Amino acid sequence: MAPVPDPNNVSGGAKRDEATVKVPSKDPKKKDDKKEEDLSEEDLQLKQNLELYVERVQDPNPELQKAALESMRQEIRASTSSMTSVPKPLKFLRPHYGTLKEFHKNMAESDLKKMLADILSVLALTMSAEGERESLGYRLTGSEGDIGSWGHEYVRNLAGEIAEEYTMRQGEESSIEDLMDLVQQIVAFHMKHNAETEAVDLLMDVEDLDLLLEHVDRTNFRRTCNYLTSAAKYLPGPDDMLVLDIAYMIYIKFEEYPNALQIALFLDNMQYVKQVFTSCTDLLRKKQFCYMISRHGITFELDPEMVADDVDREMLQDIVNNTKLSEGYLTLARDIEVMEAKTPEDIYKAHLLDGRASSAPSTDSARHNLAATFVNAFVNAGFGQDKLMTVPSDSTSGSAGNWLFKNKEHGKTSAAASLGMILLWDVDSGLAQLDKYFHSNDNPIIAGALLGVGIVNCGIKNDCDPALALLGEYIEKEDPSVRIGAIMGLGIAYAGSQNDQIRSSLSPILNDAKAPLDVIAFAALSLGMIYVGSCNEEVAQSIIFALMDRSEAELGEAITRFLPLGLGLLYLGKQESVEATAEVSKTFNEKIRKYCDMTLLSCAYAGTGNVLKVQDLLAQCGEHLEKGDIHQGPAVLGLAMVAMSEELGLDMEIRSLERVLQYGEQNIRRAVPLALGLLCISNPKVNVMDTLSRLSHDTDSEVAMAAIISLGLIGAGTNNARIAGMLRNLSSYYYKDPSLLFCVRIAQGLVHMGKGLLSLSPFHSERLLLSPTALAGIVTLLHACLDMKSIILGKYHYVLYFLVLAMQPRMMLTVDENLKPISVPVRVGQAVDVVGQAGRPKTITGFQTHSTPVLLAAGERAELATDKYIPLSPILEGFIILKENPDYREE
Amino acid sequence: MLTVSVKWQKKVFESIEIDTSQPPYVFKAQLYDLSGVPTERQKIMVKGGLLKDDADWSTIGLKNGQKLMMMGTADEIVKAPEKGPVFMEDLPEEEQAANLGYSAGLVNLGNTCYMNSTMQCLKSVPELKSELSNYQSARTKDVDQTSHMLTVATRELFSELDKSVKAVAPMPFWMVLQKKYPQFAQLHNGNHMQQDAEECWTQMLYTLSQSLKAPSPSEDPDAVKALFGLNLQSRLHCQESIEESSETESVYSLKCHISHEVNHLHEGLKHGLKGELEKTSPALGRTAVYIKESLIDSLPRYLTVQFVRFFWKRESNQKAKILRKVDYPLELDIFDLCSEDLRKKLEAPRQKLRDIEGQKFGLQTSAKSSSKGDDVKMTDAEGSSSGSGQSSTGDQQGGASSHMTGIYDLVSVLTHKGRSADSGHYVAWVKQESGKWVQYDDDNTSLQREEDITKLSGGGDWHMAYIIMYKARLVPM
Repeated sequence: MAPVPDPNNVSGGAKRDEATVKVPSKDPKKKDDKKEEDLSEEDLQLKQNLELYVERVQDPNPELQKAALESMRQEIRASTSSMTSVPKPLKFLRPHYGTLKEFHKNMAESDLKKMLADILSVLALTMSAEGERESLGYRLTGSEGDIGSWGHEYVRNLAGEIAEEYTMRQGEESSIEDLMDLVQQIVAFHMKHNAETEAVDLLMDVEDLDLLLEHVDRTNFRRTCNYLTSAAKYLPGPDDMLVLDIAYMIYIKFEEYPNALQIALFLDNMQYVKQVFTSCTDLLRKKQFCYMISRHGITFELDPEMVADDVDREMLQDIVNNTKLSEGYLTLARDIEVMEAKTPEDIYKAHLLDGRASSAPSTDSARHNLAATFVNAFVNAGFGQDKLMTVPSDSTSGSAGNWLFKNKEHGKTSAAASLGMILLWDVDSGLAQLDKYFHSNDNPIIAGALLGVGIVNCGIKNDCDPALALLGEYIEKEDPSVRIGAIMGLGIAYAGSQNDQIRSSLSPILNDAKAPLDVIAFAALSLGMIYVGSCNEEVAQSIIFALMDRSEAELGEAITRFLPLGLGLLYLGKQESVEATAEVSKTFNEKIRKYCDMTLLSCAYAGTGNVLKVQDLLAQCGEHLEKGDIHQGPAVLGLAMVAMSEELGLDMEIRSLERVLQYGEQNIRRAVPLALGLLCISNPKVNVMDTLSRLSHDTDSEVAMAAIISLGLIGAGTNNARIAGMLRNLSSYYYKDPSLLFCVRIAQGLVHMGKGLLSLSPFHSERLLLSPTALAGIVTLLHACLDMKSIILGKYHYVLYFLVLAMQPRMMLTVDENLKPISVPVRVGQAVDVVGQAGRPKTITGFQTHSTPVLLAAGERAELATDKYIPLSPILEGFIILKENPDYREE
Repeated sequence: MLTVSVKWQKKVFESIEIDTSQPPYVFKAQLYDLSGVPTERQKIMVKGGLLKDDADWSTIGLKNGQKLMMMGTADEIVKAPEKGPVFMEDLPEEEQAANLGYSAGLVNLGNTCYMNSTMQCLKSVPELKSELSNYQSARTKDVDQTSHMLTVATRELFSELDKSVKAVAPMPFWMVLQKKYPQFAQLHNGNHMQQDAEECWTQMLYTLSQSLKAPSPSEDPDAVKALFGLNLQSRLHCQESIEESSETESVYSLKCHISHEVNHLHEGLKHGLKGELEKTSPALGRTAVYIKESLIDSLPRYLTVQFVRFFWKRESNQKAKILRKVDYPLELDIFDLCSEDLRKKLEAPRQKLRDIEGQKFGLQTSAKSSSKGDDVKMTDAEGSSSGSGQSSTGDQQGGASSHMTGIYDLVSVLTHKGRSADSGHYVAWVKQESGKWVQYDDDNTSLQREEDITKLSGGGDWHMAYIIMYKARLVPM
């Protein structure tokens, strides 16, 4: 027992008092007795006063009543400012809550009754039983005075009760008008007091986000929108769209166009994109918009409504068409001083392996050379020079031709196409250099040239449509390899363009009874790419018919999987829109039915983070199947595709894949590394790296191959030394197995892709936007990897080039108002999540200062380290236009 | 008349006039003048299509000031080389094996790693292989049936290993080996027992030396002995009676005895060449302790050293193993183990070897020193001419030109892993002609680093050298 406190010792008494107050009083009686003694003089006084007021309130004299209520209100208001502990007046009034309630019930309607209701409403804050919502009830009958005067905690409590009441009333379908008035008040209060998140939460609960528009102002709209956009990821459809709509409107309202555009692109709403252009009047800012659209990789035509002036429009369209991408990329390369071409041997670094690396064999190995071709293509991608393909042909009588002919048969296709990769984005030189292959009499070389044209034009649009002009006539050629080259080239060059002309030439192939299976498969795939995420019904029909026409034997072929994939790509990220087609797919031959089902589901919900779909897919993986069923592969990939959009889901998925790996059948285990590769593409997380490293030594060679390719994918374009070391060791570990060694080489090429300047991540703009074409390219490769032996290790190795769709420089390049590169200091550091944080928190941590152009790794963010310029987009990625700051003073 | 601009590579030809009354061929001719690209190689792109030579301008719908794009170069067209490269994948299996740089492994037939590793080590001796290939398939009468069969089986096994890419299952060889030496067929719990690799090695060499004896003794007395055999000159003396006697014996390997003082192969060898034995002394009329000191009298092409790691442990009734670490060098000089006579013979070749190596490292630079070198050579030549007359050092046909130096290079190591001779695992590590080391762990073969080979010296539970083989470094004289 504590010593009896001296009532005169104020400080000691106060301390004790506080201590007891914090204990939630479950049985007040016992505590009350004790408190009597513990109270300080001051508190005793207050208590007595309050008791007096309570008595007075019940006095028949209205004057006295009023005075008492006023005083009581005074006392409460004076104390509710802080809510770290229960305010004393409230505490002292607790025993009288019942009495007052009783009295209030019997009171006649009057102002006084309302006043008492107000007080009761506040008292209910601590007294009301869970779920009774008495606070709200009294508030509604009260005097409807300024809500904020009762303190923040009161408002929060009220907001919670409103949400409950709202759901209840929704169930009963009764009026909510009185509630909405209150909501108005609360939202206004929250928005004024840095509690945007709570305002948004309340409005989401009462499903009336439009109200937000009235209450946001310049000081809080950014935080509000930030919260809205990040909350959208966790909302079920269609609420998420609604939330983003509001965010868009707020951004437009405050002329924060880059953000508005970002959301418009996220919603894939071209109307909104257009609105951004029409609302903005500044040409320079429009240029910045064009850069953002071009990074997203969609086809977008500017019309006179958006940009009136013809010359300006042409210039802007050029930016959208990515014509300057090559230039910007080379500027970056020169700045970082990596222009020097690298040979595959520079990548293999066999000298670091000492004794164990087998010496270069005396004869050429076709597979070895093919691997070198790919490594060379990936490493020197976009640099316009290398040491195998672009060596000047006049020296030593056409040595450029020589490397080409060091590849065997279909290998020559990949070799010729690699020239396209080396000259990536540089259409003019690319076409000039590829020209010589067009006149070859060797079909695989022509096929490679056609594919190369497609690769060069990847993501670049041109008025003259050179890819279509050149490739169009080869679609109908006799030789299947030439046809595939042309078809695949078109698919890559026009991905996402929804070009009708190509559709009309490719669709007939699908239903041509005489066309070889692989040609049909690639046609379906290319159509899927060109119409990615469009839900185009005609294309869907053609592919469905093509699938139905396939014989039993053909359905068993590995390459057939591109048909359902092509179909799936049409609905990439389009969620419910897939349902009709999914229904149709249930009528397919059972050999492909499930595969098709899984592919459609995974594509349609790709990047949505939809938990229900993840569960569906997991359930599929949980089954233990007969041999020969292959649909669990796409189901596992689907897990990754659905969950890849946001960090939390992604981490969760990595963990659940670990389970799947342990308990799954062999065909699941083979897909798990690929799913991990997709989740962390170009983002080498250490835990995933370790898992993959472990799997790369798996006894099942298919698991090992998938893990090795995935090691390449997660390290793609990062030059990650750890992965490079792992792969080097794998190259000596597997030096005797040509298939695995091939995979190791490819992975090495991927890790050093673009000498470390490129990224394969389909996400950009601070990981908000998902480029559909990029995802389509990666998913296609992964589906091909599900049957590595027949596709990539077979004669369709050129599907590796589909990765070009996802290749983007991971740079931030600042340009001045004339779009000429300028160098400014920037801070680059790890991005910090600032959603829901008050004030102006730092957005990056552990930063270093560089001067532009700079490379941005996964999870990094840049900010300008100078006030001299103002960036025209708050998202510092890719091309950023800088405007001189008029207020800048040189120090 | 239309005016268009044509983009070609990085150039733009501005304001080219098109006469729409003329076919596009004329326009192409215009472009030929500008770009130098022959008309048939020009590809002009107009809104998603190519401009045909005979197209009608009106249907194309060109607009004034439109931009066209032209593709085409005057470059030479790529032609396939007349003789394409030969790809490894196209080669027959045998040639692929040749490309690999080393031969295949041997499948373990049930505790036969002792045999596999022994055979892999022996196979690394090219001279032995060539002797075997000269061996007649028909049996001569001075070789017994089983020895003959074993020799033939060895030859077949070696040639199969050379041809194959995949691991070889040495079934026929093994059957013959069991027939010849029934002790290898011992069963334990229904399985073949693990055997001592040293026993296998010795027996193999013995059999081969029997069967590979040339039919006419004058020509080549004993090929195997010439390759592996070495003569020891031993001096026995009894300390008590001051008696002395000497004898020579011929052995196939040197023993490296491992005692507490031995840390290095050289010490072990010295130790092995010195021994005590009890013998009846004629002078004393009772048994007395004699000290036997041996010196090498003639050197083999291939020097085999056995680490005496196993000894019979009475308490546990099994062959126990000495795990002591005994270092061995990649390059072994046994000069000081040689007899006086032999040392004299070796001096000249050794000097020569030093000169050659000195030259290699560029140590002898001045003309003066080289002339001095000549002098030495001249004097040495006299000395060695008498020595080489006996050709005891040479021991090979046509060996007059190359001489022993007493310096040996490590070529193969047979290791044992485990705690006793009859258990554990034997592995062969063989240096290839390319200079690379290959580990033959039954059917698994892998490349190894040279510095890892010297780490097989014991002192732990890792593979440790049990039998090692050195190849003589010869100098031409």
